[in-house]
Amino acid sequence: MTTTTDTPVDTVVRVEDVRALLDGVWESFLGAEEPLLTAALPAHLGGWTAAVSVTGTWRAQITIEVVDPLARLVTAHMLGRDEEPAVEDVRDALGELVNMVGGNIKSLHHGTAMLSLPWVGYGEDAPPPLLRETCRLDLTWRGLPLRVLVHVSASAAAADERRHSG
Amino acid sequence: MISTASFDFVADLQRRETAMRCEPGKEYLVEARLLPLAREAGYEDVDAYVARLRVDAAARADAVDALTINETSWFRDLAPYQTFTDTMLPALLESRAHVRHLELWSAACSSGQEAYSLAMLLRENLPPGWTATIHATDVSRAMLTRVKAGRYSQVEMNRGMPATRLVRWFERAGSEWQVSEELRSMITTEQLNLAAPFPPMRRFDVVFLRNVLIYFDAQTKSDILRRVHHTVAPDGFLLLGTSEYALDAGPGWQREVSGKTWMHRPEGARPATPAAGAAGPAGVRGGAGSAPARPLATTVPATATASFSSTLGTVARAGTGATLPTSLTPQGA
Amino acid sequence: MHALIIDDSTTMRSILRRIVTGLGYTTAEAGDGQQALDQMEAGPLPDLCLIDWNMPVMDGYTFVTRVRDREEWRDVTLMMVTTESEHNQIVRALAAGAHEYVIKPFTPDAIIEKLDLLGLVPQEATA
Ligand SMILES: C[S@@+](CC[C@H](N)C(=O)[O-])C[C@H]1O[C@@H](n2cnc3c(N)ncnc32)[C@H](O)[C@@H]1O
Repeated sequence: MTTTTDTPVDTVVRVEDVRALLDGVWESFLGAEEPLLTAALPAHLGGWTAAVSVTGTWRAQITIEVVDPLARLVTAHMLGRDEEPAVEDVRDALGELVNMVGGNIKSLHHGTAMLSLPWVGYGEDAPPPLLRETCRLDLTWRGLPLRVLVHVSASAAAADERRHSG
Repeated sequence: MISTASFDFVADLQRRETAMRCEPGKEYLVEARLLPLAREAGYEDVDAYVARLRVDAAARADAVDALTINETSWFRDLAPYQTFTDTMLPALLESRAHVRHLELWSAACSSGQEAYSLAMLLRENLPPGWTATIHATDVSRAMLTRVKAGRYSQVEMNRGMPATRLVRWFERAGSEWQVSEELRSMITTEQLNLAAPFPPMRRFDVVFLRNVLIYFDAQTKSDILRRVHHTVAPDGFLLLGTSEYALDAGPGWQREVSGKTWMHRPEGARPATPAAGAAGPAGVRGGAGSAPARPLATTVPATATASFSSTLGTVARAGTGATLPTSLTPQGA
Repeated sequence: MHALIIDDSTTMRSILRRIVTGLGYTTAEAGDGQQALDQMEAGPLPDLCLIDWNMPVMDGYTFVTRVRDREEWRDVTLMMVTTESEHNQIVRALAAGAHEYVIKPFTPDAIIEKLDLLGLVPQEATA
């Protein structure tokens, strides 16, 4: 096994950990009756994108992509209301969702890092990350697709790959 | 919706394995609990999955685990734990001074929050030189594996764990938190079906048998309480769940009240609480005997929050801030 | 009992509001630490603050240190409700004067049990 000394913090983000954290968020706010299911999804979902970034001794971006009907369903659930949520409500709910998932992912590592405020957009991509994908979850909830992506700093990811292929 | 035949099969399985009753009307619950497993195994609905259970023993064990209610939390209901530190522990420190060792049993321990909550209180309150063992048992092997690992999700950590204790006794382990080796080393585990005859057991000073009797029929309950009686030291304590203490425990037991907690004790045990009316140590209210104690103060005494918070600034040496804050919400008031 | 709910997310404020009003609390809300301080100056003083960590303008950690600087706000109970979940962050918040700490995500039971630890569940709520 090769070890590197140039990456201060282990930047591996295990997909099982992300899934466990996501399930925790989901069960707490959206109920345990309908689980999130693994699915094969198209490359572009179209719809909402919510992201937060982590900066510090390690760098990452956590992104959630959801189709609009699911975004509205999730928002209505979180607000405990039956009526159609306003666009501003959807924006806020998705922001809080990615904040929770991102904050939990940040704490997977021992380093010191800061979480950004969430960024939420519709029909656009998240700010182009100078980072590369390290973890992807393609899922459905109540038959509607969502995707969770974790990108980490490219140099850290490369160092990591060296270490794990060694 | 799950078919009647599938439901009957599952209910029967549950009863055989755990003695837990699963009566008609609970179809929705069974469906909700088995659906995730069914989906995970690639079945469209629960009936197809139940057909699989009929021929697959490993899947049956998973299904029983999924059907079992494992709901638990740290320091569940608070008051029993307060009584443990305020009443039971002082009495035992006196009566066990010659051995300086305590034996506790968390029967039906679920994922271990009860056992580890007790371990924390012991570590924080036992005088130097004393040791204690907590025997954690459950019918579910999956639960015992969890107890041994001592790892809890973020969501589980939130359930009743005081922040000071979280930082003192836990470390992050990936997406979870792991309880310290110091506490894990106090725990022994064993698979044990309360509804069947017990294997040879030690005598315990304190038994927590909480939130499990409610699932059994009257006969099973009384059988269990009779068997448990043999495992409790003559001056020991049995603690039942908040909704269970009122049941008639049967012959050989007497009840004693401390604060708002009812303790069951082998008949003839000398009361652990000071005689009614006598000024007891802080936190001990109410007296011996069968009359319920007056509920604690109904408003928050200014000192309760203040004294608890005063221990919070001392995270680094949290050993001194061991007692739980006075809980102020009397039940059944 | 009166609670001040401090979080930049209106969704989260709504979730927390439903939990504590269910216990019989009245509530006020603030979107960041500075707004919360302003509201406390103006009164009425809350019995409890539920405080997010990451917020614009003034974060929850700074809010806690500011409240703890004020002798006359000593009796206000401060509970962090945040996604910040590193061990050392929890230690920092407690050392700064927070009384309790809930990590997001949480269920309503988790909030209620923590308030019970603090003696802040009004008794009529459990009767
Ligand atoms: C609701 S939990 C209670 C956990 C803990 N004692 C508490 O009060 O929080 C019930 C536990 O009883 C266990 N159980 C069910 N039937 C049992 C049996 N026949 N023998 C032993 N344990 C059993 C379940 O596996 C589950 O972990």
